[in-house]
Amino acid sequence: MHNTIRIVFLTALALSTTACVAPGLYQWGDYEQGLYSAYKDPTQVESLRKKIENHILEMEKTGQKVAPGLYAEVGTFYLQAGSPDQAIAMYAKERDAWPESKGLMTAMIQNLEKRQKAKQESSK
Amino acid sequence: MKNLLSVAVAIFLTACVAQPIKKDLSAFEAAAPRSILVVPIVNKALDVDAPNYVLAALPVPIADKGYYVFPVNTTKFVLEQEGFYEGDRIHQEPTPVLARLFDADSVLYVTIHRWDAQYVFFTTTVTVEFEYRLVSREGVELWSEKKKLAYQPQNSTSGPPLAQLLSAVINAAITRAAPNYMPLTQQANRQVFILSPNAIPDGPYRTTQKK
Repeated sequence: MHNTIRIVFLTALALSTTACVAPGLYQWGDYEQGLYSAYKDPTQVESLRKKIENHILEMEKTGQKVAPGLYAEVGTFYLQAGSPDQAIAMYAKERDAWPESKGLMTAMIQNLEKRQKAKQESSK
Repeated sequence: MKNLLSVAVAIFLTACVAQPIKKDLSAFEAAAPRSILVVPIVNKALDVDAPNYVLAALPVPIADKGYYVFPVNTTKFVLEQEGFYEGDRIHQEPTPVLARLFDADSVLYVTIHRWDAQYVFFTTTVTVEFEYRLVSREGVELWSEKKKLAYQPQNSTSGPPLAQLLSAVINAAITRAAPNYMPLTQQANRQVFILSPNAIPDGPYRTTQKK
């Protein structure tokens, strides 16, 4: 009896959900969950970066659109970890995938390149 | 799991059935933003973790609605580089200044009004209340919404009354010790941006994918 109710319930839920809500446009991997775990425990940042990077690779391999912001978030994790070159590469991917991000990404990339150049010149 | 399911259904039903008066969206339609910058949250609750949780739960529903959402953690990072650490301080900044800094079409401000777990008669009620305000890069308010959601994890065991009572007490104590706000926060955001009749209109990426 209980099981029947449950099945009816779940079917109703499934039907009503599809009727009312359009499916999500993107796959997010572990982004949402991982982001708040990383805010709670900053030692999780690196594992979050790896998880999102793997997720992005998976999306690219299967020809699916990478969700807005994911490339840039990985870029910022690299930047915070002291790897500006990888950050620049990721920001460039975000810029190419999403025209709305062009202004910000271009500014971030130029800024980083300027810093890189200044660093190289001072070490000469 | 069962509890979650019933919460989901209850929330879902109210979202779909309720038909409040439609808001005027002419300013929104005139501005037709393609991108939304979600800035760090203002917290009027006591829990210091609340703003980060709410921030993390915003990009998915807004992107699903068809907008380009600026990466929230990158946004936070950039603002910190500019010397803005606190949500309160950021919300005071003129919208055109923020929008120009990120080249965003619109800015979303979210304030947490409630985020608490109250323990009354062997049950714990977890409550969240958020206020949302979307402003165009010119500084015109495009849309706003308030959402309050509460849930009481119920115990589904049957048996002798004393056992039931004990199970309720334990259940409530566990919820109070570590209330899980995330499902409620995600539901609130989904309702406000996707399910509600007063949700924002579909963004450019949703309409192009429509069949």
